[in-house]
Amino acid sequence: MKVMLRGAIPRLIAGTAIIALSTASLATGVASQAGASSKVTISVAYAANTTFDTTPLGLTWWTQVKKEFEKQYPNVTVNLDAVPGGEPDFLTKLALLYHSTSTAPTLAQFPSTEIALYQSTGYLANMNKYLATTSWFKDYPKVIQNEGKIGGKIYAVSSGENNVGLYYDKAILQKAGIALPWQPKTWNDIISAAKKIKAAEPKIIPLWVDAGTSAGPNGAGYGILNLLAGSSTPTIETSSGKMVVSSKGLTETLDFFHTVFSEGLGAPTSQLFSPNNAPNIPSTDFFKGTLGIAVGANFLGGNWTKQVSFPYWAKASSAMGVAGLPKIHGGGYASTLSGWDYGMSSTASPAQLTAAGEFMNVAQEQTNLIEAGNWAGWVPPVQSDWTVPLYTNFAAPFNEEFGKLLPSSSELPSNANYNVWVQGIEQASGDIALKPSTTGAQALATMKGYVTNQLGASAVVSLP
Amino acid sequence: MVSTAVVDTVTGPPLQELWKTRHDKTRYQWSSLGLLTPTFALLIFLFLVPMGFAIYLGLTNLTLIGPTAVHSSFTGTANLIRLKGDTTFWSSLWVTGIFIVGSIVGVVVLGYTLASLLMRATPWMRVVVGGIVVISWMMPAVTAGMTWYASTTGNGTFGTLFGHPNANLLDAQPLLVVTLASIWSMTGFSMLVMGAALRNIPSEAIEAAIVENASTWQRFRMIVLPLLRPTMTAIVLLTGLLALANFALIYIMTQGGPGNSTNILPLYSYQQAFTFNNLAYGALIGNVMVLIATVFGVFYVRITTRRI
Repeated sequence: MKVMLRGAIPRLIAGTAIIALSTASLATGVASQAGASSKVTISVAYAANTTFDTTPLGLTWWTQVKKEFEKQYPNVTVNLDAVPGGEPDFLTKLALLYHSTSTAPTLAQFPSTEIALYQSTGYLANMNKYLATTSWFKDYPKVIQNEGKIGGKIYAVSSGENNVGLYYDKAILQKAGIALPWQPKTWNDIISAAKKIKAAEPKIIPLWVDAGTSAGPNGAGYGILNLLAGSSTPTIETSSGKMVVSSKGLTETLDFFHTVFSEGLGAPTSQLFSPNNAPNIPSTDFFKGTLGIAVGANFLGGNWTKQVSFPYWAKASSAMGVAGLPKIHGGGYASTLSGWDYGMSSTASPAQLTAAGEFMNVAQEQTNLIEAGNWAGWVPPVQSDWTVPLYTNFAAPFNEEFGKLLPSSSELPSNANYNVWVQGIEQASGDIALKPSTTGAQALATMKGYVTNQLGASAVVSLP
Repeated sequence: MVSTAVVDTVTGPPLQELWKTRHDKTRYQWSSLGLLTPTFALLIFLFLVPMGFAIYLGLTNLTLIGPTAVHSSFTGTANLIRLKGDTTFWSSLWVTGIFIVGSIVGVVVLGYTLASLLMRATPWMRVVVGGIVVISWMMPAVTAGMTWYASTTGNGTFGTLFGHPNANLLDAQPLLVVTLASIWSMTGFSMLVMGAALRNIPSEAIEAAIVENASTWQRFRMIVLPLLRPTMTAIVLLTGLLALANFALIYIMTQGGPGNSTNILPLYSYQQAFTFNNLAYGALIGNVMVLIATVFGVFYVRITTRRI
């Protein structure tokens, strides 16, 4: 057993400790409920260090919402359960909290790619009843409304979304002779611009696109999957639940990576494979003036604000431009869409569920929702918020631009096999970044072999 | 020797009777079992029961999240069959073997070299060099991992020293670099133990060999090495076990990548259990590691309890 001590067991111990602490806090809640029937206690679990751009911003926002809610609903006590750690740690600890009805949070916030897993375990309550009377949910775009819908019932509701576009350094593009504002129509336009940058500024990284496994599933969500979304066949999971391991779209996407890295247009692997938050590296590179173009998530713009300071760059709004990521042969933009959603516990009492619904109403109130979006680097899910000055002025012009791009985004799958599939495509993109001579077909074969080996031949499919 | 019937009338039975009693064999007093009960209880509840549960867990379909997170069941040999055909597992086992053997060889050779050089060094140099090496041993795995990561990627110390500041050694030779980091982090321990053992070698034996005109190599092979063998054996086994469990160092440096090139078994077990949510399969891989550790452990116990 000793050999496991450094890996799995500490997580179980950490999870057990959290469960013990939460049990203690919930026990207090149960006691207060028993003491006076009108009193209700709910627990709200959230990721302390992952969702918001900085831990203090997250703490400020959650404390503010709790205070506001308890003022409006004096009979309800909210126990905030700030679960520490990176996203994988948070997910492990949250899953352990759900393992016991006594520790399951009444309301929890988790990534949209986990909804189906939590629902299939039976942890989530049907939220239709609570959403029917809200004023905000009907303003969600259909694609976001459906994010938590399974079998016609809604089990999770978005609190913010991430989408992806192209960032570019205006000065570098101008030096390369590219007309501004730049809006590529096809993938070839992107490659062509990157080549011009390389020719004009050989020391600059022409094009950033995430590759490799170091950033976990998010790395693909902010990188390669956006290109796949704009390919000829963007399907990741078929309607029968099989994961796609070979398709024209996958080949096109990996061929694009092969072109980028074999032409020396991509970022060095020391940055791409960095265990230190690789998807955020472009914001530092742009600030230093060492990067031309990046396929990047909406939150990069917020990184340059004073509140986030990753790094603070006052001139970012004038120095940087944003463009939509085109589809392979044109005809519009493509992006993945992934968010953080609220889910209610299926084991909570009706009074707790009602209170949790009311807590969501306060959290989704316009100012709170936009502040969450600004501080967590999300596009607010309510469409009318995309033009509100509180949102557009925070990281201008980036917030507004990514709001405009959101309707052309598509949701990532949410199922047990997705993480394995993502590991496979990240290995394929990492192979190309590491050995640029690797062709798209070779990388695809690696991916197919890995995913098929992990999931079994019956769980995967090859599309034409 | 001629046997004689000598009787000690003052203190007890004849010496022949005493000689019949073997004092070099282990004797048991059944009454001591009572005293051993607490130890047995601890062994059963803190080791055998969890171990048995881990073995059972490896033969179920338990997941961290999903339908079988709540209603898991015994699946017999299904996970074992999957393990047999899992090419990533076999590649991981191979990588683990290279990592362990590389770590052992490096730690033993470097530990002995440093210990023997420090024997001849001036006192202040012994303090400075010995201190630096021991600090590297005492450094938390996370710090050691970050240090090596920063030193071996673009603009790192190694590349800059050799005139190629943009060289990315970690991604070019990932298994070699993480093995070197592992050797670096464990050499302090080896050097300390080896140094203590070297100081215990009788100087008379070395001096006699010098008088007999034995070469340095002969002195090492015929005197130093045999006398260091028990110490080296202990270092080999402990280093092997530590390398097998070296999750944090590699997780920090490469997370098992690029691809699966540094994906040693503890990382693969973690990945299955917590990234892919397959707790049962992760536990099964953990059980394989326990088996490997047991092999090391059995050798270690046999060698350390061997009578000289």
